[in-house]
Amino acid sequence: MQTIVQTVARTLAEEMQRDERVVVMGEDVGKRGGVFLATEGLFDKFGPDRVMDTPLSEAAIIGAAVGMAVHGLRPVAEIQFADYVFPGFDQLVSQAAKLRYRSGGTFNAPMVVRMPAGGGVKGGHHHSQNPETHFVHTPGLKVVYPSTPSDTKGLLKTAIRDEDPVVFMEPKRLYRAIKEEVPDDPDFTVPLGKAKIRQTGDDLVLISYGGSMAETAKAAEELAKQQISAEVIDLRSLMPWDKETVLERVARLGRVVLVSESPYTLNFMSEVSACICEEILDSLLAPPLRVTGFDTPYPYAQDREYLPGPNRILRAVQKVLEY
Amino acid sequence: MIADKQNFSPFNEEPISLISQAGEWTAPFACDLKDEQLKTMYQQMLAARLMDERFIKLQRSGKMSFVAPHSGHEAAQIAAAHAVRVGTDWLFPYYRDYGMTYALGEPLIEIFAQVTGSRLDTAKARQMPMHPSSKELNIFTGASAIASHIPPAVGAAISMKIRETGQVVLTSFGDGATSEGDFHAAINYAGAQGAPVVFLCENNRLAISVDFNKQTGAENIAIKAKAYGMPGYLVDGMDVLACYYVLQECVENARAGLGPSLVEAQVQRFGAHSSADDDSIYRSKEELEQMRQRDPLLRMRRFLENQGLWSERDENLFKKEILGEFQAIIDTLAEAEKVPLEWMFDDVYAEMLPHIAEQKKDFLG
Repeated sequence: MQTIVQTVARTLAEEMQRDERVVVMGEDVGKRGGVFLATEGLFDKFGPDRVMDTPLSEAAIIGAAVGMAVHGLRPVAEIQFADYVFPGFDQLVSQAAKLRYRSGGTFNAPMVVRMPAGGGVKGGHHHSQNPETHFVHTPGLKVVYPSTPSDTKGLLKTAIRDEDPVVFMEPKRLYRAIKEEVPDDPDFTVPLGKAKIRQTGDDLVLISYGGSMAETAKAAEELAKQQISAEVIDLRSLMPWDKETVLERVARLGRVVLVSESPYTLNFMSEVSACICEEILDSLLAPPLRVTGFDTPYPYAQDREYLPGPNRILRAVQKVLEY
Repeated sequence: MIADKQNFSPFNEEPISLISQAGEWTAPFACDLKDEQLKTMYQQMLAARLMDERFIKLQRSGKMSFVAPHSGHEAAQIAAAHAVRVGTDWLFPYYRDYGMTYALGEPLIEIFAQVTGSRLDTAKARQMPMHPSSKELNIFTGASAIASHIPPAVGAAISMKIRETGQVVLTSFGDGATSEGDFHAAINYAGAQGAPVVFLCENNRLAISVDFNKQTGAENIAIKAKAYGMPGYLVDGMDVLACYYVLQECVENARAGLGPSLVEAQVQRFGAHSSADDDSIYRSKEELEQMRQRDPLLRMRRFLENQGLWSERDENLFKKEILGEFQAIIDTLAEAEKVPLEWMFDDVYAEMLPHIAEQKKDFLG
């Protein structure tokens, strides 16, 4: 049994063992093992050349990772909180994302940028955000956001072995909240762009990813008590995302609620909702409803209330069912 | 100022200069470059100047959308190409560096194909003009975002260091770039790591129209190296041999494990910032005329002529030859087919993602 954050450290160790080009870099990832302990034990095992403490500079971390990747390493960079990616954002957008395209496919940057994201940890607006829309909106980046230890292992391995830059978001309020058995196989991978059906159901579909999967699962439990059977889909990967599974399952039941804790406007679920409306409108029995964070900076005092919790999800479900 | 050839003193107050305006060797050590290499350097400077002039003509005739002229920067750029090991070391240049990549060996056909957005461009005509790229020559593909290539340059150098490859990175940028956060982030990291990288600032004292004195309160750029824990050298950027000897020492120091250096080549930008700029708004003809007195080509030509290595005849022959080469390339490019529409959708990822394939199919049928 292991947690998400333990799985990150163990997966990194396995990948570093497998491929000596894999290096880990970031603030406090060395002796300290990361502020969340996501790189615990790596420094002792692999030494300072492969587990590199960097200056406190996200532009340096992400930018240097691009150069290392181009030169033949497979860097896994840690951004201490997703909220702090912005000084390095230009390196992701202008360098990493466009490198393959702008060089006509002659250069590429196989690199992973890991970042704990999401609220519910009393972190205020600079330790709680979910900036995935920025990344998804940048062609050239892949974006992953698992919600379980096993998916963390499988997706992180796939991300490290991928030939393109991957933004790997980790649901920090679930870092230690869930424990499960994780497959031992050092080659256990989960493909990018494949959703996971967490629970099958007959009345409506609930779709979510990352940290919000926890609240979505709670809402599904509540619904079960009310004899409402919800199908629960975990997207896991946002770029690419599994449109095929989503359209198929939503078309079957005709009702869908989309849950994601980032702000409402241009929330990733806006894209999912638009695709559903464009492609399977005739199958819908109710408009898709989004349950999201609000269009405010992430608050401190209302840390839990900002999140799309089970009650808000249930209200949306009721609307969709009664439509 | 200069102890001996292999030991320039950093944080010099007067720019290091090895040949006088009259083309006399003034250094306290002997110039050990072979005649052929000296001639090659000058020929490349001349070719770069002519290339610049040709670019402007191509832009005015609608065959290029944009030019960032490098005239006045040739000495620094050609010197940089000679200071590194071709095919071993890596260059991370900026958008005004076609003189450098040409001297490194980037074929003219590739350069002209890039700037004209031709199907023959190795980067598939994905970028606006003035963005060099060569996988074969280790020239990192250019990016317009100022200074954004400097952190990747440092990352590559750190990779070289930890893998002990014996390679060196040379990265170049203008004075404006030194105000960007990326410059600080990168050079600071390089200093902390002792990474094998040479930072070359081609300081022409203008960021488009903004004067150097509005860019920084520091007396020069080289002095900033002190704070990053590395030597900084101020060099007369109109003197190709001064640039060469200083850069070569920095490159070899980096290779020997002595860490990074910052070289500030004080150059002049003879042209406007770009074909979209009108520099007469912010500087006078007289100012420009004065700058041109210090033309790096004139100085190197006089040096060669003093040694009996170059003549008016050589000059005319070489010009004719290189202009003929340009024309042949332009004719070849004129015959190339159009850039295929479907290329728009390739190379976003290693394998095309389903949604892009869908968009491509929708659009192209």
